[in-house]
Amino acid sequence: MTFLMITGRTVNQGVTVENKTSAEYAAETSTCFMHEFDMLELGLADGDSVRVTGACGEVVMRASASVEVEAGTVFVPYGPYANHIVAAGTHSTGMPDFKSHEVEIEPTDEEPKTVHELMEDLGGLAYDR
Amino acid sequence: MIVKDAVCPFCGCLCDDIEVEVEDDRVVAVTNACELGTTKFMGEKRLKNPILRYGDEWKDITYDTAIRYAADMLLSAERPLLYGWSGTHGEAQCVGVHMAELVRGVIDNTSSVCHGPSILAIQEVGHPGCTLGVVKNRADLVIYWGSNPIDAHPRHLSRYTRYAEGFFLENAFRDRKVIVVDVRKTETANIADEFVRIKPGGDYAVLSALRAIVQGKTDTIPRTVAGVTREQLVRVANLCKSAKFGAVYFGLGLTMTPGKYKNIRNAIELVSELSRHTKFTISAMRGHYNVYGSNEVNTWMTGYPFGIDFSRGIAFYNPGETTAVDILARKECDAALIVGSDPAAHFPRKCLEHLADIPVVQLDPYPNATTAFCNVQIPVAVTGIDAEGTAYRMDGVPIRTRRVLSTDYLSDREVLSRMYALMQEAQER
Repeated sequence: MTFLMITGRTVNQGVTVENKTSAEYAAETSTCFMHEFDMLELGLADGDSVRVTGACGEVVMRASASVEVEAGTVFVPYGPYANHIVAAGTHSTGMPDFKSHEVEIEPTDEEPKTVHELMEDLGGLAYDR
Repeated sequence: MIVKDAVCPFCGCLCDDIEVEVEDDRVVAVTNACELGTTKFMGEKRLKNPILRYGDEWKDITYDTAIRYAADMLLSAERPLLYGWSGTHGEAQCVGVHMAELVRGVIDNTSSVCHGPSILAIQEVGHPGCTLGVVKNRADLVIYWGSNPIDAHPRHLSRYTRYAEGFFLENAFRDRKVIVVDVRKTETANIADEFVRIKPGGDYAVLSALRAIVQGKTDTIPRTVAGVTREQLVRVANLCKSAKFGAVYFGLGLTMTPGKYKNIRNAIELVSELSRHTKFTISAMRGHYNVYGSNEVNTWMTGYPFGIDFSRGIAFYNPGETTAVDILARKECDAALIVGSDPAAHFPRKCLEHLADIPVVQLDPYPNATTAFCNVQIPVAVTGIDAEGTAYRMDGVPIRTRRVLSTDYLSDREVLSRMYALMQEAQER
């Protein structure tokens, strides 16, 4: 199913933002908040994995029902998971489309990667001392 | 020891009434701060010493070695990018601009991915803004448009708007109305007197409709505009016109959506229209701590607020060309110095693919997502916790931040000054 992905701040994202190697930060920023009817249609329960595919690739997140989002849109806290699929075009403004990204969402059995794994996929080297 | 009136280093509110209890050079308790600020003050997972990536391993190195590495990297680069700057103090930002000019690099700050578009709009039509204190004491109508302060600026409501006392308001909680405009029914929407839910991407149309109604052209408005009924639009316009003093606070819900800076321009022009009927102001909800300061420092030193390119020997500014995301996505820079930000967590993946291909040095107290792309990371003191310096609040008021504890970490200014001195020496040779 096609959705409009919006990214933004949440308290939990802000609380864990200085500790990006933590499981809590990964859990918050890999949460895909969805309307419960959309989850019903995709056969998803809270915490189920979803593959979110954007213009630049795909990433696995966990679905979570939210009364805040409208059907047809999903909300993902700012962070490396959403940005794994956000395109870098800025329409000559310097600003990517962080709040208006069309994505495809489908259920999957895969687990979300850790932040370290995402960074290493792109050529980084995790520091976890 | 209890340090009173400390300044919170998390968001642009720069709350200056924080009490921090310190024992044995550790923060053990924080009073008055929100959850975000408390966690920042209590943060303990600092990087202990500079680190160097050596193949597939990390090695501990000295500050001298790390600073020398960074200076050499910038001097040998043809088009270095110096990015970040919102998590540090103005004094360090000044050194950064000098360094960028010396190496003819590009210096950009995090506003290019937050309120950069707002600044573009302000450059077009001006900024009828005011300080937070004016809003607290005078505003009887506050509009949060595309911003969710309960999550992003938790004390904005209690210090300045919904739950704040106002000198010129008899009963501020009763007399001050709050309108929230958003595509999501956020926590902030739940405490609003009026919630206007817009269809994603519809902000520009709704702003235009409100402008038309305020101009007395209600007849031209269709039955709904971007999901908002005409009746609600008229009600909101009337609330605005009948207010004695209105204040609009807008967030990234306007800057990151289609239309970008044109949305802000339209909002400013709505405020201008409303000011023909009553007093109205508009300001941005600046997010990251001293991001406003990075715009101020860059502007007074170069004439431009962000995305400044010194490759011509003079300051050149062209957002979309000289901004960090564009430069990285085009694989244009050949080295990057990152200070007080974490682009690997907040930039699109294409930018990170290029960061992986070029030498990167980062100044940051904590291991973060960008650490993975660093050749060298230098831990520094946190401004407002173990370093002092000047930061700008979201309304442009400079505040001297205090040091609440002592550590052996160097401040950003100290590290950058040593780096700059080495670069100057090398240039003179």
